Amino acid sequence: MKPRHPTYWRSYAQLADDPGFRDFVEREFPAGASELPEGIPRRQMLMLLGASLSLAGIAGCRKPVEHIVPYVDAPEQVIPGVPRHYATTMPFGHSAYGLVVESHEGRPTKIEGNPEHPTTAGRSGPWMQAAILDLYDPDRSRRVLRLGEPSGWEAFVAAWQELDATLVATGGQGLAVLAAPFSSPTLARLAAAFRARYPNARWATWEPLGDENVREGLRRATGVAAQPVHDLERAARIVALDADFLQTDPEMVSSARGFAAGRRNGVAGGEMNRLYAIESVYTVTGANADHRLRLRSGEIGGFVAALAAELAARGLAIEAAPGARPPAGVDPQWIGTLAADLLEHRGASVLIAGASQPPAVHAALVALNAVLGNVGRTVRYPEPRDAALSSTAELSALAEAMRSGEVTTLVLLDSNPVYSAPADLDFAEALSAVEHTIHLGSHRDETALGCEWHLPRAHFLEAWGDCRDASGAPGVTQPLVQPLFGGRSDVELLGLLAGGEARPGHDLVRETWRGILGELGFEQRWNRLLHDGVLPGSPAPGATPRVGAGLPADLGNSGTGAAEGLELVFRGSPAVHDGRFANNAWLQELPDTMTKLTWDNAALVSPATAAELGLANEDVVRIGHEGRELELPVWIVPGHADGSIAVWLGYGRSAAGRIGTGVGANAYAVRTTAAPWFAGGATLTRTDRKHELASTQDHGSMEQRPLVRESTVDGFRRQPDFAQRMVKMPPLEQLIPDHDYATGYQWGMSIDLNVCTGCNACVVACQSENNVPVVGKQQVRNGREMHWLRVDRYFVSDGGDPAADPAPRAVFQAVPCMHCENAPCEQVCPVAATVHDDEGLNVMVYNRCIGTRYCSNNCPYKVRRFNFFNFTKHTPEIVKLAQNPDVTVRSRGVMEKCTYCTQRIAAARIQARLEDRELRDGEVRTACQQACPTEAIAFGNIRDPESRVSRLKAEPRDYAMLAELNNRPRTTFLAKLNNPHPDLAPAADPQPGDSHGAAGEEHP
Amino acid sequence: MTRRIARVAALALLALVTAGCVRGCTSRRPPIHINPNMDLQPKYLAQSENAFFYDGMTMREPVPGTVARGELRDDSPYWTGRDAAGELVAALPLPVTPALLDRGAERYAIYCAPCHDPAGTGKGILFQRGNVPTPDFRDPRLLGQPDGHFFDVITNGVGLMQGYKYPVGVADRWAITAHVRRLQGKLEGGS
Repeated sequence: MKPRHPTYWRSYAQLADDPGFRDFVEREFPAGASELPEGIPRRQMLMLLGASLSLAGIAGCRKPVEHIVPYVDAPEQVIPGVPRHYATTMPFGHSAYGLVVESHEGRPTKIEGNPEHPTTAGRSGPWMQAAILDLYDPDRSRRVLRLGEPSGWEAFVAAWQELDATLVATGGQGLAVLAAPFSSPTLARLAAAFRARYPNARWATWEPLGDENVREGLRRATGVAAQPVHDLERAARIVALDADFLQTDPEMVSSARGFAAGRRNGVAGGEMNRLYAIESVYTVTGANADHRLRLRSGEIGGFVAALAAELAARGLAIEAAPGARPPAGVDPQWIGTLAADLLEHRGASVLIAGASQPPAVHAALVALNAVLGNVGRTVRYPEPRDAALSSTAELSALAEAMRSGEVTTLVLLDSNPVYSAPADLDFAEALSAVEHTIHLGSHRDETALGCEWHLPRAHFLEAWGDCRDASGAPGVTQPLVQPLFGGRSDVELLGLLAGGEARPGHDLVRETWRGILGELGFEQRWNRLLHDGVLPGSPAPGATPRVGAGLPADLGNSGTGAAEGLELVFRGSPAVHDGRFANNAWLQELPDTMTKLTWDNAALVSPATAAELGLANEDVVRIGHEGRELELPVWIVPGHADGSIAVWLGYGRSAAGRIGTGVGANAYAVRTTAAPWFAGGATLTRTDRKHELASTQDHGSMEQRPLVRESTVDGFRRQPDFAQRMVKMPPLEQLIPDHDYATGYQWGMSIDLNVCTGCNACVVACQSENNVPVVGKQQVRNGREMHWLRVDRYFVSDGGDPAADPAPRAVFQAVPCMHCENAPCEQVCPVAATVHDDEGLNVMVYNRCIGTRYCSNNCPYKVRRFNFFNFTKHTPEIVKLAQNPDVTVRSRGVMEKCTYCTQRIAAARIQARLEDRELRDGEVRTACQQACPTEAIAFGNIRDPESRVSRLKAEPRDYAMLAELNNRPRTTFLAKLNNPHPDLAPAADPQPGDSHGAAGEEHP
Repeated sequence: MTRRIARVAALALLALVTAGCVRGCTSRRPPIHINPNMDLQPKYLAQSENAFFYDGMTMREPVPGTVARGELRDDSPYWTGRDAAGELVAALPLPVTPALLDRGAERYAIYCAPCHDPAGTGKGILFQRGNVPTPDFRDPRLLGQPDGHFFDVITNGVGLMQGYKYPVGVADRWAITAHVRRLQGKLEGGS
């Protein structure tokens, strides 16, 4: 029997050790990476080269004439070159994120969380970070269009007022509005005024990834269509049922913060939380779980019923059907252990189900949470306030009315149903039956193409508005810049509909807040609100619902026939969500944490299912569901539920813009109202074709060395410095004498793998802060992605043959430049383009770089990125506005990498000098550190023993990756701890003193 | 002989070409710049030209009505020189210290003295040379004005005088106000 050491591996190809993989990792950059771009014929290439050379001859030889354009009437507070910051609120469905946005001379450039806001608490997620690029999207619609012809706002307002005259007379007969969900005091007020003006009008609210199952479940259980708000900080046991609360959930920032607090508790000597994940798709939440159970989505209802029966059998006062059997293949002991664990932690546990689970599951969880005493402690159920909530029934009724000719005027507020509505509604056809259609949207999208009027919509960074977050805390959205393309906001259009006249959004929002804040001292309180971004004082907690202890009768069979045939599961994309971010290049190129796929969606299947059906990665398959078909390439994911196919929604846009159009396949085409999230009985047919997918999975592989080090809480208590003992350090010698780093600030970083959830916020934050270019799918396939910070994902098999392990664990490791004191890259640079400064930064001098790439070759961490082509050369004028002016935009032929955000260090140093003082700890924060929802990244002066980073580096869990190479990296990691239940298959303990204990592989 | 002439002529031509057109030759065209070297990057710096916006400016005005972080101007008398009712404040809203008066004197010398004269007589160098009409601070009309008046005039200007709110910060404007008051003989102290 092989020793039960965990085996770390990255892909099946690596395990199989096939020659292609070996060739791949052994070349510094994959084959062809130094060659010309594909897809351009040679002749055309020469023409392009000729053109650019002749252009260079005209313009490039002489210094261009630059003009200084100062303010005419300079605003009092603006100092050119010194950024200012504004608090604002980003609406997201019926939730909201409090943000602080950096503005360079009135131009927003970077988004951070607002420390005063209860949801974000100064942190952010990938979608918030990427929102800045949406503002500067060159494909945003720029003018009012009527039947595709340019028109204007005045013409639209006049046309509307003409329509309005007849509509008011009939009380809005034939008028309908389709809106995206919101939770906004102003929009709610205007919607009410709209209903009063047009009592006969129809209103529908809908979004494709709505949480209506959750609210319907709560309505069934409690009588109130509330929403669960979790306080994970107080939860010692967390059960996630198809719930990805750490990445794709809208509340991921606050959930991750609470989850990390529970993880830290275990390190500090308290009790560490324990996460059980039961899911079909391998999500980030599943990867963070201490115990993960693969189960098809349709079987989760049955699992809940079995869990309830087990709890009832153990004496919990819940009316469960006795003897409910767990789904096939689930170990009864697993459920027994989980039930016992929950019973031991009454009032400190929580069960969470994803929005994709049917209402019965949510209703059952309310009952279970209630009888376990969790309601009011780890979960509460406030009612959304000032909200319009997504409802597929409303959408279906609207489509029906449209088809029957009942609707003569349809207004679409920020909604794209032609693309995303359930396929059985055939919304495009219904839309063509409506006489007057008015579409307000940021892009001329699929729906806009079929509408009479298209109105450009203002981005939230250019419009006034307000919104409440999930807990109900209201905040104001204040604009950072005047609309770039003359767009109008939802507030302004709804104001026109409700009031009959076009009024500025500023007035409409202030009018609402006069009612909330009161007339007395309004200006002062309003300005305070704009300054803080959120109304101080915590919102009222949700009322404790009256809960019966009964479970829904249809719980066990809520799987809509999942038992037979293949199960088809729909999921929102972790990158582009429901498709609204499809034209955002940062998100398209963001490698998904689990699959590492970019620029595509795929049919995700388990290795066993793939073997059974004879599928390999990139095989195009035809998925059939209820007579509709979808073609997608296959991607095999270890740990995926067998017999289940998962597809991401949000791809396959036909009118998204230059970035998003035609990327991936549109899975909405097979999504129906009957089965919006998962359905059984899907068919899968192989085609003979292959579709190339761009995955960063194997890029920069680091083999057979304990890079991610982990142990269990018990193992940590027995041996706190386990991580430092995992490598036998050879005697370290060096040729070059040491530099003395005993003076000044000495920068260093610590990354806590115990709380890193793999959410990708840091990757997008780094891209935004450091002007990291996007390279496109083909270049990602060639291994030329430019991300300065990547999140490595390793699968872990605890003993046995890893290739045969159906459910490996997964661990993450965020890898920026390590800033080695004894840096291998510096020693090989022939032109001293990469050198150390006095503060321990490994700096790149871009102008010196001649592009030999020796440094990258010699970097053991593979964190250097080479700009093979001039990825930034053809940056559209408007995208240039999104670039951080404080960071060099690198040119072709230049090596680049993480700088520890040296521009932020410089800015803080200037400020400290102005104030004639030393830099304070925490004053310099790198972009990744500031974004991280769990504060896993710490940065600061390692010479100061009191700084946070020094204290973390002094922890026994601290280890340097590949320290045996004598690089002395300034970035070190804190080892990960797991908290498995002792009765369930334990994770292996590390073997102290074993030179490659955690790797468990043979050293070459 | 002819060869020699030709050689001299060629040398002269070469000297003309090298000396005349590479160095010392005036030209309306910008200098030759062979290696771009990331001198010009696809990003916008402060005060740069911008083809995207209709006015050609990269720098945008802040949206009216917005409040930036750290710029909450709650204390109306201090920030605007007017109280909540919109009236000019009678007295400086901050304590008059020797440091404030010194600062005021220094700023006054930089920004105000060219017109107003170091003593505040209104006979500064611009009055002497350009006959710019500048009032004497000891004018009874000005002696009777509240402190807020001076702050307001420095901020927004009056008549021919432009507003100085951009180059002179709020604290400095109050310091100059204090100095003007001292010139009027209404305040004591400072050096």
